[in-house]
Amino acid sequence: MDIIVCLKQVVDPELPLREFVIDPATHRQVRAGRPLVLSTYDENALEVALQLKDRSGAKVTALTLAPQATIGDAVRLALAMGADEAVIVDDPRSPDLPGAAKARILAAAIRRIGRYDLILCGCESADWVERVVAPLLAEELGAACVTFVSRVESPDGALVVRRQSEDGFHLIEARLPAVLSITSDETNRPRLPKVKDIVAAKRKPLQAWPAADLAVAAGDTTADGVEVRDVAAPEHTARCEMLRGEPAEQVALLAERLRGLKLL
Amino acid sequence: MAVWLSDDHRMIQATVREFAARELLPIAADLDHTARFPAEVITKAAALGLLGLTIPEAYGGSGLDHVAYVVAHEELARACAGFQTIVTVHTSLVCEPILRWGTDEQKRRYLPDLVSGRRLGCYCLTEPAAGSDAMSLTTTATFRGGAWFLSGTKIFVTSGVEADLCVVYARSDAATGARGISAFLVEKSFPGIKVGKVEKKLGIKCSSTAELILNQCRVPAENLLAARGAGGRVALAALDGGRIGIAAQALGIARACLEEATVYARQRAQFGQPIANFQAVQWGLADMATRLDAARLLTYRAAVLRSADQPCAREAAMAKLFASETAMWAAHRAVQIFGGYGYLQEYPVERYFRDAKITEIYEGTSEIQRMVISRHLLAAP
Amino acid sequence: MAGVLVIAAAPEGALSRSSLELVGGARVLDAALGGGVAAGLLGGAGAPGAAVETLHRHGVPVVYRVHHPALGVGQSDALLTAALAVCEQAQPALVLVAGDTVGREVAPRLAYRLGAGLLTDCVALGADGGAVVAKRQAYGGRAVATHVVRRRPAVLSVKPRSLDAAEPAPIAGRVVDVAVTIESAALPTRVKQVQAEKAELGLEDAQIVVGGGRGLGGPGGFTLLQDLAVALGAAIGSSRPPADAGWVPISWQIGQTGKTIRPALYVAVGISGATQHVAGMAGSRTIVAINRDPEAPIFGVAHLGIVGDYREVVPALIAKVRELKGR
Repeated sequence: MDIIVCLKQVVDPELPLREFVIDPATHRQVRAGRPLVLSTYDENALEVALQLKDRSGAKVTALTLAPQATIGDAVRLALAMGADEAVIVDDPRSPDLPGAAKARILAAAIRRIGRYDLILCGCESADWVERVVAPLLAEELGAACVTFVSRVESPDGALVVRRQSEDGFHLIEARLPAVLSITSDETNRPRLPKVKDIVAAKRKPLQAWPAADLAVAAGDTTADGVEVRDVAAPEHTARCEMLRGEPAEQVALLAERLRGLKLL
Repeated sequence: MAVWLSDDHRMIQATVREFAARELLPIAADLDHTARFPAEVITKAAALGLLGLTIPEAYGGSGLDHVAYVVAHEELARACAGFQTIVTVHTSLVCEPILRWGTDEQKRRYLPDLVSGRRLGCYCLTEPAAGSDAMSLTTTATFRGGAWFLSGTKIFVTSGVEADLCVVYARSDAATGARGISAFLVEKSFPGIKVGKVEKKLGIKCSSTAELILNQCRVPAENLLAARGAGGRVALAALDGGRIGIAAQALGIARACLEEATVYARQRAQFGQPIANFQAVQWGLADMATRLDAARLLTYRAAVLRSADQPCAREAAMAKLFASETAMWAAHRAVQIFGGYGYLQEYPVERYFRDAKITEIYEGTSEIQRMVISRHLLAAP
Repeated sequence: MAGVLVIAAAPEGALSRSSLELVGGARVLDAALGGGVAAGLLGGAGAPGAAVETLHRHGVPVVYRVHHPALGVGQSDALLTAALAVCEQAQPALVLVAGDTVGREVAPRLAYRLGAGLLTDCVALGADGGAVVAKRQAYGGRAVATHVVRRRPAVLSVKPRSLDAAEPAPIAGRVVDVAVTIESAALPTRVKQVQAEKAELGLEDAQIVVGGGRGLGGPGGFTLLQDLAVALGAAIGSSRPPADAGWVPISWQIGQTGKTIRPALYVAVGISGATQHVAGMAGSRTIVAINRDPEAPIFGVAHLGIVGDYREVVPALIAKVRELKGR
């Protein structure tokens, strides 16, 4: 089985609030000088791929679309965790490209990689959160699509996956090739790489393809005609009233406030 | 600190930090209260390669340098000092001497098991009457009928209860001092060795500290480590690496103190403001941070020399001396910043205070470290 | 048609709450942009009559009805085919889809096949000139992005529980039956089983919710939170880490990939408030945060904050609540 995992580097979402700054020119978060990490759910997607590799000997390729100069530890971490090889599509525009444009470029890269049974993505990126790459990749490639998959139940024979739903889950049988977007679950907690694999990852095959070299399909994407006017902190930023003192005092103050609001 | 670390070091640091956060931080207080040996975490650490960081890959180790070792061990100790004690003794005082002095057969027989966690190592040097004056030890080793027979009592053995493989130092020849001592690889399963008293300690409680009693313990001839009479050199060389490990432990404890005290100082309000606004507290934190960074640089320096197989006795002694005294001082300061709450078991600083103390004592007391350093300074040119 | 088409999936015949939210949004857009409102009612089982009535009663004059056994719960591929058939007939300018389990798979693919524009997970819809102006959350809920959609057609998916459900506005209506050919066995994906977990105290409908996070340290911490929930008469939920670690069921998770709640009171205990949890609860009217770390991002969205150890604060709070309630 050949698995491709699409990975995105994002500014660490756990950075303190004061580091979170929107660039008014690009309407995106300022990335310069901030540590980049693998987007949260992409780690879960990678873990699912690696579990399939452990179970049935699949080959796992990590695919990233990013300006090559900014590739930090993320790709190396994927290789250290167990991915067999990595492909970087080098595109200087990529951090601010909409998901639809990215899906188109990724599809071209995937076609160039050639062999794929499963394509895994995170269910949403930790920054722009569009949730479109997986479904649009499926359309570009003519593949089956299931989103918000928490587990792959049976990789042999028919592919059966568990998709998270509002009040539980659905078991879905999907044809290959399939694009799955992965959400976090207690079964797919990302593994830690072995220490020696961190060093060995440097020796694994890593290719960088300039985006201009790919045969990216022409024509509008679903992002065309949809523009960002503004990105701002939400209007309802409440000024938090901090209740001070010993726990007993804090609780007494809280009770008083809640009573005043008719909540107690 | 980033400028001192390579990409490898940084990624290893991040990985071990995450490991410690998942596996050690949630249970560290409980391990201390119950003095429980964290067997399941040892197994997981071994799976990641943390039990043989500096051992070559040919023996199943991770093949890293000593800076990586320091970085990883600081992260482990930051979460649980007792756990780090177990790993540093196992690595620096058992695996590394075997790597350096062992025959091919000894390395082949023991290193893969030690590195994979199938065997845990311990180091038996100290005796009731031989502490700082370790080379005055009196455990005997007699060669008879093709095998060695060891008799004596070893105390303060880290992991004495759980270890399978003991590096035991015994007097094999009439010569006094270091020259009459030989080192032996003793498996717990050999006849004549047993665990005696298990100590209750002030800190690092999840690491067992035991007495090992040897009574005509039969050790095969091929388990002599290094040449007969070279035991003193083996012990002291091992301690160079071990001291770097203890320095790393002290770094972790000191950092824990700094981090917790900083959070607390922001949160605790007295006289209408966070105590972080008070200069006494600010200066305490500033001094903690400065001394911690200084200790780190000393430790990295020793690690760099050790990785290059350069002599590092003086640098390792300086690192261990300064880092351990920093940890103890930082813990004292941290408890004071926490005030009354710092005295309670519900808060971690009293544990750091108790854990820090041992770093000034084992693997050579601060007094011994000063002796080592001054000897280097005053040595005849 | 050139108006707004609402895609209403009704696999078991009944109209869902989110469909009425979409209708509300559609009517707002229609008021500004014109073109009329229609709905595509896609169902497989159960009589659709009541759903049609409800749509007419809420101001939808035209209902394109597709009835096919393949349109069961969760059958995204079948729904996509049916939605395409309706769009072909209705020729809408705008299509609204609920951003629920199925909608988030269908909406992007529908847009792709229609050659339409796409905006997902909108939390507010409006108009400016002839363009649609929509808001969505970004950066794990730390920011709100305002988008302008000029392209037609365009598909907009709407985050459930973001828009107000349509008010009744009865209107004379008609039904257009749309035939569709779906070969179940030929669909790329098929639902084999639908598993609903035991409904916990209606997390999404509760007026008071207590949430626990990584700061509770383990499943044991939730026991204390249960006591608080009982004392307050609240439902209990969690941020992502406890659910991921298996401390609590996944259905307890509040956040971008969990449930969205808008209670009158939300008490967050040991929750840092970073990233996507806030997105799921920021609509709460009053937010109380209890956390050891005064720098925790949760204090940026909370109305009342207590910096302290939950193991001290929560028992004191439980005692106080019981005292005030006369127990």
